[in-house]
Amino acid sequence: MAYDFDVIVAGCGPAGAMAAKAAAQAGCSVAAFDKRKELGAPVRCGEGIGLHWMDELGSKLRDKAISAEISGSVLVSPDWKNKVTIRNAETKGVVVDRKVFDKDLAMDAGRAGAQIFAHSEVVGVLKDGNMVAGVKAFVDGKPQEFRAKAVIAADGGESTIARLAGLNTVSTLYDTDFGVEYEMVNVECEDLIEVYFSVADAPRGYVWIFPKGKDVANVGVGIGGMQSPNAKHYLDRWIKAHPERLGKAQTVAIKGGLIPVGAPMTEGAVGEGIIVAGTAAHQVDPIHGGGICLAMEAGKLAGEVAAKNALAGTTDRAHLLEYARIYEKGPALKLLKRLRMRKVLEKLSDDDLNAIFSHLDDKDIDNLLKSNFAAVVGKMGGLLMSRPGLVKTISALA
Amino acid sequence: MIEINRKLCIYCNTCTGVCPVMANRLREVVVEHDPEKCVDCGTCVKACPVAAITLRAGKKNL
Ligand SMILES: Cc1cc2nc3c(=O)[nH]c(=O)nc-3n(C[C@H](O)[C@H](O)[C@H](O)COP(=O)(O)OP(=O)(O)OC[C@H]3O[C@@H](n4cnc5c(N)ncnc54)[C@H](O)[C@@H]3O)c2cc1C
Ligand code: SF4
Ligand code: SF4
Repeated sequence: MAYDFDVIVAGCGPAGAMAAKAAAQAGCSVAAFDKRKELGAPVRCGEGIGLHWMDELGSKLRDKAISAEISGSVLVSPDWKNKVTIRNAETKGVVVDRKVFDKDLAMDAGRAGAQIFAHSEVVGVLKDGNMVAGVKAFVDGKPQEFRAKAVIAADGGESTIARLAGLNTVSTLYDTDFGVEYEMVNVECEDLIEVYFSVADAPRGYVWIFPKGKDVANVGVGIGGMQSPNAKHYLDRWIKAHPERLGKAQTVAIKGGLIPVGAPMTEGAVGEGIIVAGTAAHQVDPIHGGGICLAMEAGKLAGEVAAKNALAGTTDRAHLLEYARIYEKGPALKLLKRLRMRKVLEKLSDDDLNAIFSHLDDKDIDNLLKSNFAAVVGKMGGLLMSRPGLVKTISALA
Repeated sequence: MIEINRKLCIYCNTCTGVCPVMANRLREVVVEHDPEKCVDCGTCVKACPVAAITLRAGKKNL
């Protein structure tokens, strides 16, 4: 059988661009398709990332991709009486400009030798028997078929390409968060990400203010999929309730989207001739919904595994499962721990949260969020005495 | 089938992602809805962050 490419990447966001780059660097001929006219736009993201990731991924950020540098985060209790500020090596981050960031990643893939097809929507998956053997995509407005030994589906939360290939990547309402966010001016900011916890204001989620400059920020809310009525309702209400902070704020962009916050897919993300990577495979932090760098990490892995097997002529599911095996031993372990934590957090009431904030100091909360429960247990006594109901909820973490 | 209020839609891709039968697809900046595929499950109606979607009696639920 003739192939047009060794590896085809469908979707060229953070996951797809890293996959394309890794596969090209491994010596494969690679095509990456993205339906966007301009990669990165429109933005559907809070754009916050931790800087430690860049070293881990061997990536460099161009100054132009950075909107603001962040030294840490402020976590605010539901009653606003307690604010915890966490500043350490791990909270150092940046708020990027995804319009620049995503394009930079795609350029890196192009520099490594991948062919990039922008404004080229993938609308179908080609199959030889039960083996995925390429894609059908609109290029220059015309439907065309491109054959490849392996396909990497990296099309984000929509995840239609995996579904067209017969994999079940739908995220249930319960395990999905819905977010909406305004980019606003006249919002005074420090170099800190602000996170407001409150069941009343953001059920199963939180309100965030991510600075994009001295007086510009992404102000957003994410809520759990089972909540009513909708994310915009909560965001508008919250903004109105805080005139001291946002009374002069003006919206210059409205963004939104879905975030799968359930278990990351591993084996389920691999089929005959196909690997799913990034948010398309729910590889997202279940607590804060961050998924840019997790997508990059998974995309890189998918690119490496697909390339190795494409070159060896072994892109059947059994061989591609190496991706799942590696993912299970590393990233998935951390994410599953975070998922357990999410399920505890979502049971807490605002009173519980207020009690936790008033009993624990900055270090304790940092440890809690990092799932270092052992370090906090000693401090829990007084807290649990004051709120016996918490014992049952928190014991699930042990 | 559903009805999308295009004046409210922010092209966020949520309804396309949650639809179990891929009846919604985002084409550039327009969500295309395929009433033939839609099974009236209401998931996207619930999910839309800006309440742009309503269920409408289509031929299936007449
Ligand atoms: C409101 C909101 C706020 C968020 N805030 C943050 C945050 O602050 N920090 C963070 O780390 N994460 C955040 N996230 C999550 C983050 O945006 C995603 O996890 C990340 O974008 C995932 O990268 P990806 O490459 O997997 O998918 P995407 O970035 O979604 O990229 C998928 C690409 O595939 C393309 N595509 C889709 N379908 C097709 C097709 N059929 N054919 C061709 N191309 C296609 C799309 O055009 C897109 O370019 C947020 C998400 C939302 C919704
Ligand atoms: S109502 Fe259900 S089937 Fe119809 S478009 Fe919405 S999610 Fe899809
Ligand atoms: S979920 Fe709502 S806002 Fe988002 S694309 Fe669909 S109709 Fe538009």
